[in-house]
Amino acid sequence: MAIKTKKIERRGSSLSERLYLPAVFSGMARTLKHFTTNISDTSNLQHIEYPEQEIPDINERYRGQHRLTKHADDSIKCVACFMCAKNCPSSCIFIEATERRDGVAEKMPLEFKIDLLECVYCGFCVEACPHDAIRMDSGILTRTGESRDSFIVDKAKLLATRAKES
Amino acid sequence: MEIAIVIIRIVIALAFALSLIPFMVFLERKVAGFIQDRPGPNRCNINGVRVSGLVQSLADAVKLIFKEDFISTHIENRKVFILAPAVLFVMSMLTLSVMPFADNIILGDKSYRMQAIPFDMGILWYLGFAALSVYGVILAGWASANKFSLLGAVRASAQSISYEIAMGLAVVSMVISYQSVDLNQMVQIQSGTFFGIVPNWGVLIQPLACIIFIVTAFAETNRTPFDLAEGESEIVAGYHTEYSSMRFALFFMAEYVAMVVASALIITLFFGGYNLPYISTELMHESSSLILFAIAILLPLGGFSFMKWIEKNNVTRYKSKNDFRIRENAIFKKAIIGIVAIVEIVVAITLLGGVSFFEAQIVTAIVQILIFSMKTIAMLFVFVWVRWTLPRFRYDQLQKLGWARLLPLGFLNVIISAIIVAM
Repeated sequence: MAIKTKKIERRGSSLSERLYLPAVFSGMARTLKHFTTNISDTSNLQHIEYPEQEIPDINERYRGQHRLTKHADDSIKCVACFMCAKNCPSSCIFIEATERRDGVAEKMPLEFKIDLLECVYCGFCVEACPHDAIRMDSGILTRTGESRDSFIVDKAKLLATRAKES
Repeated sequence: MEIAIVIIRIVIALAFALSLIPFMVFLERKVAGFIQDRPGPNRCNINGVRVSGLVQSLADAVKLIFKEDFISTHIENRKVFILAPAVLFVMSMLTLSVMPFADNIILGDKSYRMQAIPFDMGILWYLGFAALSVYGVILAGWASANKFSLLGAVRASAQSISYEIAMGLAVVSMVISYQSVDLNQMVQIQSGTFFGIVPNWGVLIQPLACIIFIVTAFAETNRTPFDLAEGESEIVAGYHTEYSSMRFALFFMAEYVAMVVASALIITLFFGGYNLPYISTELMHESSSLILFAIAILLPLGGFSFMKWIEKNNVTRYKSKNDFRIRENAIFKKAIIGIVAIVEIVVAITLLGGVSFFEAQIVTAIVQILIFSMKTIAMLFVFVWVRWTLPRFRYDQLQKLGWARLLPLGFLNVIISAIIVAM
């Protein structure tokens, strides 16, 4: 079997190429075209004003901040099995379990904390959960705060977070 | 009167250079943005007014002033280290001082040059101080006592020396064609014509010298594609690696002042300086009332179209109850109307009172300064435009271009122009 070869022509030896200037001017013409189209009408600029404007091309599987889901009767789905905390590669989930007395399950979390500064948003907690109690579909992609404590979200906050409406 | 003229011309030259520095930072970022299809700086504001991103330059200056002025303990030549940025900046400012920004003003029986330093061998002064400004770079690289800075300094000095010869040859051919080393006289010659219709611009009578000079001016100011002295992918930041705070800012400003000077010199030598083609200073003196009349008509039209442009292009892309851009546009509108109204009133008063010879001279000087600034800014735009178009040369390519291409071309040009002038 013969090896397929493609001969590529060497460029750069003709007079116009060795003069540099024709290539320089054609390059400058191209950049000037970009400049003039953009300055005459700035709506040609392909950009979004990020924090104020929503990013259009983020699909629903994109992992954002976590939330805890609820049953139809507004009771928590989490059964405090600790699967998410065990599976978490950055050990940022802290669960304190307690006995559950409303007949839905045997256990429930008394406190459920996630340290968002530690979290790597890998989504392993969502995959590990046997009861679909934790999801990352809130659509909150950026979070700012003024202290480290403000990045530790507790059970009440996680329950209050809603799924992003699509 | 004598002292007033001295102060006026020094103030104009200083203000010209120093006010162009923040504008250049703005122009560089904004043109870079538009060439790469992005908006450039557009967040930094004072109470919602961003002036398209000009406030960013102010924020940069504030940041640099409040940074720690750090000198590493390994630096032994602290005096040289401190002196180097000052040398570079002072030399850059001195080269500007011989640029004629308007024609001579005649008061009584005396004629006053409109340059910061009334010196009639301007082009030699420029070559001298441009060569000296390399010392700033060399001293900085040497005093920094680290190999990257030293490499940057060595590159800068080798590059400047190689390109200065070709630049000198281009200047020699221009001196041969103009028969003068006085920049002001060169501009006066350029307001004439040859063959009856073609304007006597340097770029038309010496196109090769123009190309050589522009290329070498890029190399002299250490701008892309010849900015190997600060090739960040190879030698960190070159000669100013060790500098911080306002010392770094001085290097930065010196680069921009050098660019302003190079642009001013290019337009003075090749693009008619402060004059428009066909219109000499005498003609402007005679027809100054006509010029005032043209300003009175054109300025409102220009202001109106600028206002339209702002309204069309300064829009927010998301819905907002309290849109700061609407407030900003209202402020711009008021400012433009105010400026146009003030200028119109001044023009009307001058026209109604009858234009004396003194007033005609003042009007001519102001119009010439404006033309000079416009042309310089256009040339600075070319500097920025080239930076965002061309990649950096490799070092051997740079030396080859300087010694093997530009130098023979320069000699050839000098010989040909000498033969033509001698005939």
